[in-house]
Amino acid sequence: MRVIGVFATPSTLEVMGLAQKLGGDALVFILNGGDEAAERAGRYGAGRVVLVDCGAMCDPAALYDAVAGELSGLTHLVFPATKDGKTIAGYVAGKLGVPNLVDVVDVLAPNKFSKYSMGSRGAEEVEVDGPVALVVQPKRFQPAEKPSKPAVERRRAAPIVELTGREEKAKGSLKIEDAELIVSVGRGFKKQEDLKLAMELAEVLGAQVGCSRPIAADLKWLSEDHWVGLSGHKVRPKMYMAIGISGQPQHIAGMLESRIVVAVNTDKNAPIFQYADYGVVEDLYKFIPVLKEKLRKALGK
Amino acid sequence: MNIVVLVKPALDTSNLRTAANKIMVEDTPLKISDIDRNAAEEAIRIKEKMKGGKTIAVMVSKYPPTPKRGGEAENLAREVLAMGIDEAILVIDDGLIGTDQTATAKAITEVVRKKVGQFDLVIGGEATIDGYSSQVPARIAAELGIPIITYVREISQVGSDSVVVKRDLEDEVQVVKSKLPAVITVTREINTPRIPPLLQIRMAMKKPLSKVSLGDLGLQVERRARTTDLKPLQIQRKKVLIESGTVDEKADKLIQYLSQEGVVTPR
Ligand SMILES: Cc1cc2nc3c(=O)[nH]c(=O)nc-3n(C[C@H](O)[C@H](O)[C@H](O)COP(=O)(O)OP(=O)(O)OC[C@H]3O[C@@H](n4cnc5c(N)ncnc54)[C@H](O)[C@@H]3O)c2cc1C
Ligand SMILES: Nc1ncnc2c1ncn2[C@@H]1O[C@H](COP(=O)(O)O)[C@@H](O)[C@H]1O
Repeated sequence: MRVIGVFATPSTLEVMGLAQKLGGDALVFILNGGDEAAERAGRYGAGRVVLVDCGAMCDPAALYDAVAGELSGLTHLVFPATKDGKTIAGYVAGKLGVPNLVDVVDVLAPNKFSKYSMGSRGAEEVEVDGPVALVVQPKRFQPAEKPSKPAVERRRAAPIVELTGREEKAKGSLKIEDAELIVSVGRGFKKQEDLKLAMELAEVLGAQVGCSRPIAADLKWLSEDHWVGLSGHKVRPKMYMAIGISGQPQHIAGMLESRIVVAVNTDKNAPIFQYADYGVVEDLYKFIPVLKEKLRKALGK
Repeated sequence: MNIVVLVKPALDTSNLRTAANKIMVEDTPLKISDIDRNAAEEAIRIKEKMKGGKTIAVMVSKYPPTPKRGGEAENLAREVLAMGIDEAILVIDDGLIGTDQTATAKAITEVVRKKVGQFDLVIGGEATIDGYSSQVPARIAAELGIPIITYVREISQVGSDSVVVKRDLEDEVQVVKSKLPAVITVTREINTPRIPPLLQIRMAMKKPLSKVSLGDLGLQVERRARTTDLKPLQIQRKKVLIESGTVDEKADKLIQYLSQEGVVTPR
C-alpha cells in the first residue's frame, strides 16, 4: 500500500488534495496545529495525524529530527509551496536523498508529473524512480471530503535556531488572482504619490491594481497582495495593463495567461511589448491622465 | 571568516531558445542567476566588515554541451571575482547533465568538505531564475548537518560564532539568531550588487579559478529523476504597437482596440 507523507500547517492543509490524487494512505504532519486542524485532516481522509509543536518557528532541522523515524517507506512526500514549506521540503528531501519536484501542476502517473520549469516560462514532464518530494501550491489540487478517523499523536520539535523577534506585515484584503481587469504599475513611476494616476484609471475601469516586485518588495509602495510575478501572484484577468513595467521574464511568468495584455512604456524596445497585444509607446505621465479622462467620458462615469 | 557563495551558471530565461515547441537548452545562453549576485555582494560586505578570511564562489555547471559551457561558466566566474570574490571553484562534468538538485547539492557539499575545508557561512540566493526551486541550499544544509535560514533580507549582526538575520516571509518578518556555521539564502532586496570597475575586471583574471570533476570529488551521482519533455509556455500576442500621433490620438486608438476586444463598452 502506498503511504504518502504530507507536511502542512493549518492554513495549507489543502495540499492533501495532492495526496488524495496520488491515492493510498496519508500520514499527515501538521506543524503548529491543534485538534481542529487534525479534525480537518480527518475530513480529507488522513490515515494518521502527527501534530508537531515547532515552538516559535518551524526549524527544518529540528522538525526532521522529530519525525525522521516515520519517513522510511513513504512513497511520496508532499509539501506546500510557501517559503517555509519549500525550505522544509529541501531539508527533508536532502536528508532522505530523494529527488524533489517544485511547482507540480499535474500527476500523470504515480511516478510521472508535470511541473512549471525555467522560472514558470516552461512546462516540464519528469519521471522519477523511487520516493519523491513534491512541492505544490496549496490550492492546486482541491481535496474532497472523505471522512476518516485518524489516530492523532503529538511531537515536539524545538528549534535549534532562535527566534528573537517578529514583525507582522501590512496586509490588505485584495485577491488579485480573482481580478477581471488589472492595471499594474512598475518602476516607471517615479514617486509613490504618482501611483494615484494608475489608481484613478483603475477606478474608472473597475480594475484592481497590480505591481511589479520592486514596487512591493523594495519600495513597499503597495502591500504584497498586489505583487504579480514568479515570486508573487499568478493572475489571468480579461485585461492586464502593464504601465512602466519593463517585462522581465519573472514578471511575465505571473501574467502570461491574461486574455488581453496592454503595455505602456516610453522605451520602444522594452521586452514587455513582445508580450503585449496592444503596446503604447508613450510617457505614462502624459498618457495615463488623458486615457483616464477619455475613458471616463466614454464609459459615462 | 570564510564564506562560501553559491553561484549558479543559469539558463538566461529572457533568452530561451525554442524550436518546434521545445526549449533548446543547448542553444540558450547562460548568465549568473540574478540573486546569486546579491549573495556574492553580501559575502564581500561581510568580509570587508570582518577584516579577514576569504570568500569562495562555488558553481556547478548543469547544462550541455559541456565543452562550450566550461568557457561560458568560466567567464561568469570572472564576473563574481571582479566584484571582489577571492576564489572560484567550478564543478563541471558530463555526469551532471540532466541531474536534479540532489546531485547539485551533493557536488557543492563535497567541494565544501574537500576543497574549502574550514568555513563559517554558506550564502546562496533565495531561488534561481531557471530552477526556481529554492531547494539546493536547504539540501546542502541537510548534507552538512548545519542550520538553514532562508529568505534573509538583512544580516543584522555577524559575530565569529553567530549571526542575527531578518527573514522575509509571506505574512511576517522574523528575526532569527543562529550559531555558525550555517547556510543562509538571501532575497533580491538585501542589497544592490556592485558593478565592478574595469581595473577590477582585469585583476580578476589573476585570481584563482579551478575546475573540478565528479571524480576529483570522489562522487558518483544517481539519476532518479528524468525530464521527458520540456516545452516553452508561450501565448501568441497581437503585438500591435501604437507609437505615432499625439497623446490624444494614441489614447483614442487604444480605447478603440479595447472596445473591439470587449474589454470596455463605451456608451
Ligand atoms: C528569482 C526572481 C524572482 C522575481 N520575481 C518577480 C516577480 O514575481 N514579479 C516581478 O515583477 N519581478 C520579479 N523579479 C524581478 C524582475 O526580474 C525585474 O527586476 C522586475 O520585474 C522589474 O520591475 P519593473 O519592470 O517595475 O522595473 P524596471 O525593469 O526598472 O522597468 C521600468 C520600466 O519603466 C519604463 N519607464 C520609465 N519611465 C517611464 C515613463 N515615464 N513612462 C512609461 N514607462 C516608463 C522603462 O522604460 C522600463 O521599461 C524577480 C527576479 C528574480 C531574480
Ligand atoms: N548549479 C548551481 N551551482 C551553484 N549554486 C547553485 C546551483 N544551483 C543552485 N544554487 C544555489 O542555490 C540557490 C537556490 O537555487 P534553486 O534551488 O535552484 O532555486 C541559488 O540561488 C544558488 O545560490
